[in-house]
Amino acid sequence: MIGELMDPRKTFGKAVTEIAKENKDVVVFSADSGKSSGFGDFIDQFPERYFECGIMEQGAVGMAAGMATAGKIPVFCAIAPFVTCRPYEMVRNDMGYMKQNVKLVGRNCGITYSDLGVTHQSLDDFGLMRLIPGMTILAPQDPVEIEEACKAMIEYEGPVYMRIGNPKIPVLFERKPFVIGKGDIIQDGEDVTIITTGSCTKDVIEANEILKEAGIKAKIIGLPTVLPLDEDLIRDAAAETKKVVTVEEHYINGGMGSMVTELLSDMDGVTVKRLGIPNIYATTSSNYQELLAYYDLDAKGIAKSVKAYLGK
Amino acid sequence: MADKKRVANLKLQAAKCRQNVLRMVRAGGHGHVGGALSSLDIVTALYFDKMNVDPENPKMEDRDRFLLSAGHKCLAQYAVLAEKGFFDKEVLDTYGKLAAKIPGHPDMHKLPGVEANTGALGHGMSIANGMAMAGKLDGKDYKVYAITGDGELPEGSNWEAAVAAAKFGLDNLVVFVDNNGLQISGDVTKVMDMRPIDEKFKAFGWAVKYIDGNDMNQILDALDSIPEEKGKPTMILCDTVKAKGLSFGENKAGFHFWNATEELLDQAEKEMAELVSKLEKEKEELV
Repeated sequence: MIGELMDPRKTFGKAVTEIAKENKDVVVFSADSGKSSGFGDFIDQFPERYFECGIMEQGAVGMAAGMATAGKIPVFCAIAPFVTCRPYEMVRNDMGYMKQNVKLVGRNCGITYSDLGVTHQSLDDFGLMRLIPGMTILAPQDPVEIEEACKAMIEYEGPVYMRIGNPKIPVLFERKPFVIGKGDIIQDGEDVTIITTGSCTKDVIEANEILKEAGIKAKIIGLPTVLPLDEDLIRDAAAETKKVVTVEEHYINGGMGSMVTELLSDMDGVTVKRLGIPNIYATTSSNYQELLAYYDLDAKGIAKSVKAYLGK
Repeated sequence: MADKKRVANLKLQAAKCRQNVLRMVRAGGHGHVGGALSSLDIVTALYFDKMNVDPENPKMEDRDRFLLSAGHKCLAQYAVLAEKGFFDKEVLDTYGKLAAKIPGHPDMHKLPGVEANTGALGHGMSIANGMAMAGKLDGKDYKVYAITGDGELPEGSNWEAAVAAAKFGLDNLVVFVDNNGLQISGDVTKVMDMRPIDEKFKAFGWAVKYIDGNDMNQILDALDSIPEEKGKPTMILCDTVKAKGLSFGENKAGFHFWNATEELLDQAEKEMAELVSKLEKEKEELV
């Protein structure tokens, strides 16, 4: 139901557990991260397919890749920096270079682990993962999209990185099949294109209400897939509005905004404003919304930045 | 003690495989020969005696798996795969050439028979674990063999794999430690002393054997008793000779990576041809 608040981690774990009832090749790896990734039911129902590695991310990725060579579909979920930064070479070589069908899921992404500090933030995961040839990056925007993204990523054969957040998020869209590589026009408009992904989409939709009041008609594009980028959709929109804003809970350098900027760099008259976190060790607050506001990534902050960019 | 004919045949195959290594060095002008030649007897015994593999069907579902955690020993694997018929020996002549199927570290997507893309150290044991875990989960009886080196063991990820292999009871996994004592910078025990290797693995929950890894009898005896202990992964610590078979390079760190000179390569080829003739005669005499 639109507006219903749901926990992304539980939604994810439950979705994979449902899929695993049908697909016996699905196995789950944990680095002391199973229950907190929503896999409580999976552990009860499929103990033989659950591999608890303890706090061991490099080993878990390597073992997952080894299992994948024999046809298994390993899903490994933990706090985002611990499945991206920590075992990066294993992700690059064992999953990427070896082209193995492992599904890596970084939860509590961005600054959603708001008061646990820099070590638990993940503001570079898009950047790290996009440099691995053959990698797919998913960032579903609401709970229903998380469920559909789980189905799509397990059906798809190849390495995938998916990032999900921490606090409850509302259902934003009607359920529809998740097509990897496809973005959606959430709202049409001609003044500016706003491209959003993952947890930011809720705030962009709210920001749009403020922009409407100011007479700004924004074309809003949601990207539940960051890589491969929906290039046609983005280029068409940029050709139309000329002005583009990207919004992500990620460093403004290296992530989705950078990808969009690179994509549009050969288009005459097109400019891109990237919103995100500057290249710093971000600060903390137990109040996630307060932290988003601090970095102008809440609805008000996004609206303010868009207006300033448009000179309004 | 293994059968004499079985041993004689494997010694001959190993010498032929060493000729293949020299053939690649001839093509490329260089190569990581030290570790390839120290571990080559083990690789030969696996492919020519133990492993259930089919060169015509390299992806056969229930095949035994072999991988090099120390990917730079790949000249040994290329040499043995070629001798076993996984690909034409002419491929050996492309070593070092642009876009060769046999790069300086193995690529599973380029060459049949290669199971993992290793090279960065400390990856292979976890990958081997995963292969063995899949076998257990599916109730298959294939085995997974991996080779690591004494110089590779300071990589912490090896120890993640070691403790996990014991936890998951991978008695279908055999890891050889090619204990040749030398790495690029010299004596392994001076660079980073990992001794006692056998005791460390035992403490991590492995069954451990300690053999001479260039002695075919001892290799076969160790392989014939796998799993060494039910429910435990097996580690075979193999004392070996770096650059084994190069009369001028044995036990020299400088031959970890050999930039070959014409003169020494000629000499090595001659000596290896003589060894092959000698071993062929010995084998015939046993028939």
